[in-house]
Parts: sequence; C-alpha cells; structure tokens
Amino acid sequence: MTAGFLAPILGGVIWTLALSAAALAVGMVLGALLCAMRVSGGAVLAALAAMLILIFRAVPPIVWLFLIYFGLGAGWLQIGAFEAAALGLGLITAANLAEIFRGALKAIHVGQWEAAQTLGLPQVSRLCDVIVPQMLRITLPSIVSYAIGLIKDTAIASTIGVPEIAFQASNVSQATFRGLESFAFAGLLYIGLSIPIAMASRRIDLRLRSKVAR
Amino acid sequence: MIEVSGLVKDFGAHRVLDGIDLSVQRGEVIAMIGPSGSGKSTCLRCLNLLEAPSAGLLRVGDVTIDASRPVTRRQRLGFRRPLGMVFQSFNLFPHMTVLRNVSLAQERVLKRSRREADEISRQLLDRVGLGAKADQHPSRCSGGQQQRIAIARALALDPEVMLFDEPTSALDPELGLEVLNVMQELAAGGMTMIVVTHEMHFAESVSDRVLIMADGRIIEQGPSAEVMRNPQTERAQRFLSAVMNR
Repeated sequence: MTAGFLAPILGGVIWTLALSAAALAVGMVLGALLCAMRVSGGAVLAALAAMLILIFRAVPPIVWLFLIYFGLGAGWLQIGAFEAAALGLGLITAANLAEIFRGALKAIHVGQWEAAQTLGLPQVSRLCDVIVPQMLRITLPSIVSYAIGLIKDTAIASTIGVPEIAFQASNVSQATFRGLESFAFAGLLYIGLSIPIAMASRRIDLRLRSKVAR
Repeated sequence: MIEVSGLVKDFGAHRVLDGIDLSVQRGEVIAMIGPSGSGKSTCLRCLNLLEAPSAGLLRVGDVTIDASRPVTRRQRLGFRRPLGMVFQSFNLFPHMTVLRNVSLAQERVLKRSRREADEISRQLLDRVGLGAKADQHPSRCSGGQQQRIAIARALALDPEVMLFDEPTSALDPELGLEVLNVMQELAAGGMTMIVVTHEMHFAESVSDRVLIMADGRIIEQGPSAEVMRNPQTERAQRFLSAVMNR
C-alpha cells in the first residue's frame, strides 16, 4: 500500500510553522507594547490597554480571522489570507502575552529597578541588561506552552484558505475519501511539531534556572 | 560634601520625615540609628532620590535639588553620580556572573571597555576578598559574600559618598561581620559614608558621628562615643538602653 497520497499534507507543515512564528512575532511586539501601556502609570493608557486586551481575548479566533479577512479584506484593505491569519492570531497572542509579561514584571523584585537606578544605568540599559533578561527567564515556560497551543490554533486558518496542515488534510481527504488516514497523519504532524519545542524549552529553562538557583 | 536642609517626606497624610537638617563633610563616617519606623531608611532613600522628597533642599557636591521644583532626568543622574548605594537586600543582578554585576555599570555609565572594566572589577573583588567568586552567579554566594559584591559594584563607579541602608540586617552575625570589616576598611581609607544601621558597635567605634532618629526627626547627634554613652534626650536614652542592654 502506498502512503504517497499523504505527501501534500507534509507540504502544509511549512505554512503551519510560518503562521505560528508570524503570529508569535506579532504577539510579542504588540504584547510588549500593551504591557508597557498597562504599567506606564498613565491612567488613560492603562485603561486603553486593559480594554484592548479584553477585546482581543473575548472575541473567538475564528471571528477575528473572518472579521479581518472577509470584513476588512472586502475593500477596506488589501490583505492576503496568511497576513490576515497572522494578524488575527497575533492580536489574541498579544493580549495573552501582555498579561504574562505583566505578571513577570511584578515578579521581579523592586530592588532590581532600584539597584539599576542608583548605579545610574541609562533607561535602555536598565531594561535590556537588567529587567528583560529576567523577564525572559520567568516567562519562557509560559510563552512556550502558549506557542504550542498557538501551533494547534493555526488550524483555523484553513477556514480562510491558508494552505497549512489542516487545510491540506481536508483537501486530501476530499480528493481521496480517506479521511481517517488524512486527519490522523495531520494529527501526528502536530504532535511531531510540539514535542521538539517542548523539549528544547525544557532544556533552556533548566539551563537558565541552574544559574540562578542555589 | 552633602548638605540637607528642611527635608520633609510625606506618604499620603503620614509625615515620615519632619524637617531633617544635615551636613556631611568629606571623609566623615556617619551612623544613623533609631527605632524602626523612625525614618532612617526613608531619609537615606531621599538622599539618592529613590524617594522623591516632599520639601527641602538637597545638595551633593555642586548639584542641588529643590523638592519644590520638578527634577529633570539629567539633574537626577548628575545628583546620583557621586553616590554609591548598598541595600539591605543586596539587589545583585541574579542572571549575571559576579564579574558582570560589577562591570556592567562601568561600561554603561563610565564607558569603560569590557577589558578595562573587568580588570577594575577583579581588583575590587580581590579587595573585598572575593576574587575567586568572579565567574560564579550570585546565587552561589552566601549573603555576606553577596553584600560584599554589592559594595564592590558600588565602588566600581568611583563614588565620593557611600550610602548603606541596613547592610547587615539580612545577615546572621558572623556573615554580617565580613561586611562590617569591609566597611571599616573603607572608612579607614577615607571614604565618606552614611550608614543606616542597627549595629551599635559599628556606630560607636567606626563612625565619627552618630545621628539618632525618632518620629521623622534627628533627636540627637554628635561624636559617636559621646552620643552612645551619654544621650541627652529621654527618647534617645530609652532607645539606647533597649538596644545596648540585651
């Protein structure tokens, strides 16, 4: 028996990965921005950020994708399926990461800021040398588990035609009437993508932790 | 070197510092003692603007801060430049090696090269007896060692005044002694120091002048032995007899 008919599904892996990476990148940048707004001390900025986070999270991913691709895409702005999916998933990711970042900021002892201040470190150095590396250590496990969730969430991008794993599996299954094999293979691919990420994260986490732990 | 007049600090409706006047000469070592909540730490933290003073004038070297006017970032940097600070909780950067902890600010603030900074850091670490710890992370060091590293980190910026906020309060007596020895050497080397402390022996034997604070005021001050042995006010007598006779 030949499994060659499953080959197109393999071609979806690159799109799944690209979309996950793009959404994570959008989420990191916007999330950092939202977090900065929330802790800025400005009441208006903080309220605005809190409202955006609520909206991003309260609307289901598929509605965001349709809203951006079929809504805004219908004449308001020129946007491809991939970009629409990256933006939609990116917004949701941003909201979640903003809260993760905020939690990490709170977990960093105020003395770290004070030490950086009394040493006269410039603002950029305070953040880049002192605070962000510590935030990274604290947030890494949460970011990775969110990223693994994100890889699976990209499957909904098939609904707007991004040719990722689920989209390909659906196509193959319709063309060959072998739904079980198609979607089981797709499932295996998702598992195959998640495991190395989880393992890598564990190793990095242990390495970072070994430095600071007694 | 330092001139404070009419320093007031309010937290909401609560007045923590109620008119502090203080002048510190170059090379002088000052111990600030007093019961908890008397405002010693707040006073020290106002001195390097970690707390914004509510009123009063602060001068360090030739930079003056007037609490009634907004302080610009440049003013704040200039004001803090000659001040080194040591915290009760050390506040070393946990993700960096001991050497990086001491070198970082030299590179970022004094624009020294990495090599130059590291060389100075190693000398300072040797001076506090921790040359061998340079490549470890702070979590591998005892509390006393961490505090000595924190002192080296502050010294790396060539401060003219060192501020100590209860540097030994988080340490057991033996480890505290390591830190006190380093501080004593600093004092002997002519460093200007203001030390908030509960170490009565240090206050009496190392510092030149003792300030006793209570309820946000300096209630008594003078040459160390005199103030410690023969306090004039009733409140100071009560405090000293509580801490000395135990």
